[in-house]
Amino acid sequence: MTTTLYACVHAADFPAQAVLRLRPDLHGVPIAVVDGRPPHEFVCAMNRQALGKGISLGMTRLDVEGIEGMKYLARSLPTEAAARAVQLECLSQFSPRIEEVSSGTASAFVLDITGMERLFGSPVQLAERMRSALASSGFRASIAVSANFHAARIKAAATRGITIIPDGREAAELAGLPIASLPLPENPREVFAMWGIRTLGELAALPEVDLIARLGPQARTWRELARGTHPHLFEPIEPEFTLREFCDFDTAVEEIDSLLFIAARMIDCLVARAADRALSLALVTAHMRLEGGKTHQCLLRPAVPSTDRKFLLKLLQLEIGSHPPQAAVQSLELFAEAGRCGTVQLGLFSPQTPEPSRLDVTLARLRAIVGDDRVGSPVLEDTHRPAAFRMEGFAAGAPARNRVPGVPRMALRRMRPPVPIRVILRDARPAEFRDWHNRFAIAAAYGPWRTSGCWWSQDSWDLEEWDVLADRSDGSSVACLLVRDRAASQWRLEAYYD
Amino acid sequence: MPASALRLQIERALESRFPAALSPPPRQVREVASTGIREADRILDGGLPVGAISEITGPACSGRTSLALALVAQRSAEERVSAWVDTSDTFDPESAAANGVDLRQLLWVRCSDEPARSSRIYQKLDQALRATDLLLQTAGFAAIVLDLGDIAAEYAYRIPLATWFRFRQAADRTRCSLVVLGQVPYAQSSAAVALECEPLHPETAGSPASAGSPAVAGSPARAGSPASAGSTVLRGFTFKLQRARQRFSAIHAGPRKPPASTWSAGAPWSATGGVPQVSQGSHGQVLVPAMEVSILRPGRNEP
Repeated sequence: MTTTLYACVHAADFPAQAVLRLRPDLHGVPIAVVDGRPPHEFVCAMNRQALGKGISLGMTRLDVEGIEGMKYLARSLPTEAAARAVQLECLSQFSPRIEEVSSGTASAFVLDITGMERLFGSPVQLAERMRSALASSGFRASIAVSANFHAARIKAAATRGITIIPDGREAAELAGLPIASLPLPENPREVFAMWGIRTLGELAALPEVDLIARLGPQARTWRELARGTHPHLFEPIEPEFTLREFCDFDTAVEEIDSLLFIAARMIDCLVARAADRALSLALVTAHMRLEGGKTHQCLLRPAVPSTDRKFLLKLLQLEIGSHPPQAAVQSLELFAEAGRCGTVQLGLFSPQTPEPSRLDVTLARLRAIVGDDRVGSPVLEDTHRPAAFRMEGFAAGAPARNRVPGVPRMALRRMRPPVPIRVILRDARPAEFRDWHNRFAIAAAYGPWRTSGCWWSQDSWDLEEWDVLADRSDGSSVACLLVRDRAASQWRLEAYYD
Repeated sequence: MPASALRLQIERALESRFPAALSPPPRQVREVASTGIREADRILDGGLPVGAISEITGPACSGRTSLALALVAQRSAEERVSAWVDTSDTFDPESAAANGVDLRQLLWVRCSDEPARSSRIYQKLDQALRATDLLLQTAGFAAIVLDLGDIAAEYAYRIPLATWFRFRQAADRTRCSLVVLGQVPYAQSSAAVALECEPLHPETAGSPASAGSPAVAGSPARAGSPASAGSTVLRGFTFKLQRARQRFSAIHAGPRKPPASTWSAGAPWSATGGVPQVSQGSHGQVLVPAMEVSILRPGRNEP
C-alpha cells in the first residue's frame, strides 16, 4: 500500500514578496510593507534586510521612517491575489491535488505528492525542484514533507528551508516547536503557559484523558496535532489557469521607460507560465489605472502566438509609444490569453513571406508613424457605392492558389477628399471646369453613368459620373473622373486615370 | 527506381505549380520579375530587376499606376506579398482588385491625410521614406511600390541620394523589387532601371457624344483621335512606355538610343498580342523598343 505523502509550501511575509517579485530594482533594499489607514499604518510584512535593521511586525509607519535607509511600501491586495495565483500555478506542475492553508500574512499550500516519486524523484529532490521553481517566479518559501498533512503544515510554517519528516517520526520532529505553532484560542494558550507547557513535545506528552477532562474535547485535537497524528480530509482546490499579472506602484509612474521596466518582468512571468504548459501568448491586454481615476488600455495581438519576451516587450513599447497614457500610471495589470505555440510550416517550394514576429513589429512601427487606421490590407465593401472599402489588419497568410493575374486595366488615383469644382455645361454635358488652381478645357466627355443606393437611410447616394479628357491651362492634359452629386447638386473631381 | 526517374516523376507531379522543381534553374546574372505586361517585359529583358530599385516616371495619366499594379498583380499571382507606400493617399483598391491584385496579400501604407501644404508634403515624404525603410528591413516583401506620383518634383528632389543608396543596398540584401513611381527620376544612379511613361490616346466605343470643344493640341484626345470622333464609352487608354536607362543591359556599339520609337499592341481589349517592333533610326542605329499597352477601364459596363 502506498503511503500518503504531503508537501507544504509556506511563503512567509507574502505581502512583501508579492510586491518585490516584480520590482527587481528593490532587491537588496530593506523594505517594510505597511497596512492600515493613514496615519495608523503598521508593518505587516518585511524582507530579510528590513529584519536586520530591527523592523518587527506591528511597528508604526512613523517608527519605520525613523530608521535610516528603510523604505516602506503600501500593501496591495490585488498584487497579492495575482501573486498567489502565480504561486499556485507554479505549484500545480508538481501535483494536481493542492489545498490552500494560508493564514495571516503567509501564503501556504499543501500538495498531495503521493506517487510523484517516479516523476520528480525522492521527496528531497521534489522539494528542491519545487523551491527552485518558486524562486524563478520570485518567491521564497519553506517546504516540509510528511506523511501527515498537519505535521507538514506546522513544520513548514515554523522552519526555513526544506524539511523531510520520515514516516513515524512526526512527533519527534515537531517536539521542539513552540506551542504557538498551533492555532490555539486565547484561553487554552494561557492555561498551557500557566502549566509551563511551551513546546509541542511537552503537549504531546500530556495524558490524553486528563487533558480532555480539563480543557474539553478539542484538547484531543491539539494533542494529536502536536504528535503529528491528526487525520485530515484533503479538499483539493481547482486552480483556474489565468495568465494575469498585477503591479500596484507606490508612487505614480510618469515615464514610459520606467513602466516598461516593470512590464518586462511581468511579461517574463507570463511567458514562463505559458511555456510551462506548452502554450504561447496570443493576446496581451495591458490595463493601466491612471491618476485621477481614469484608466488606459493597450492591446497586443501578435500575428501568431509567441513566447518571445523581447518581441512582446517591443510590441508593448510601440503600442504605449503610439498611445501613451494621459496621466501618470498608478497600477499596471497584464492579462494574457493563451494560444497554441505558433508553428509555421515552411515549404520547400513556398515563396518567401515576411517573418510573422518581425512583421508584427514593423506594422506596429508603421502604425506609430502614419496612424492606426492607415496601415493594413484594403477590403472592398459589398456595395455599389463607389470607392467603398475598409482597412483590415495585414497578415501574410496563405493566399488563394492558382490565382491568375487579370488583364491590365486603367487604374484610378483617388483624390481624398474629392476636390470640389465648378463645371460649365454645354448641351447638358461638361465643357469646362475649374478647381482651386487650374482651369480645364474638356476635350471629350464620356457619360453620364448614374448610380444611387441606400435611399432608405441617411447614407444614400445619387451620383452621376463622367470620364473626361481635359487640358489644363498650362497645356498639359489629363483624364479624370468627375462626379456630380445629384442630391446636393455639387460637382467633384474624384480621381485621375493613370 | 533510379534517381533520375524519381526526379522526373516528382517534377511531373508538381509541373502545374513549379516547373522543373528539382532541376537547378539556369544561372542568371540578374534575377528579374515579370511585370505582367508582355510588352513591358520584352523591353526590360524579362521584367523589373529583383533586389534593385526601378523607377517608373511620367506625367499624370501616363499609365504609371497601371503598370505598377500589373507588377503587384503578377507578384500576387505568384503567392508573394507586396506593399504599397502611398505618399498622397491616392491608391484605389477597386483598381487594384480589377487588375487581379489579391488585396489580402497587399500591405497598404497610407501616409498623412493632412491637406497638401508644403510643410505637410515634407511630412508625408518623411513618413513614406521611413515606412519604405522599415518594409525593406523587414524582408519578405516581393515588391514595394513607393508612390511619389503626386509629389511635385521640387519636393521629391530633396530626398538625399544617400537615402536612395541605402534603399538600394537594403533591396539587394532582401531580394525585393523597389518600384518608385514619380514624375521624374529621383534615385538616379541607385536605380537599376528607369521607365518613362507617356499618354498616347484613349480607346473608345459607342455613338457620338463628344464635348463641345475640339481636342486641344497635345491632349490625349488629339493624339489618338478616337475621342474627337465622338464616343460614349471610354474603353481604355494606350500608353507609351520607353526604357530610359538600364544599369545592367548589354552595351551596344554605336550612337546612343534615340528619344523614342513606338510599337503598337495588336488587340485593343487586352494587353497581350502583337510583337515588339524594333526599328532603326535614320542613321542606322538600333532603336530601343518602346511600346503601347491598351488598358481597359475597370468595373463598368457600357450604358
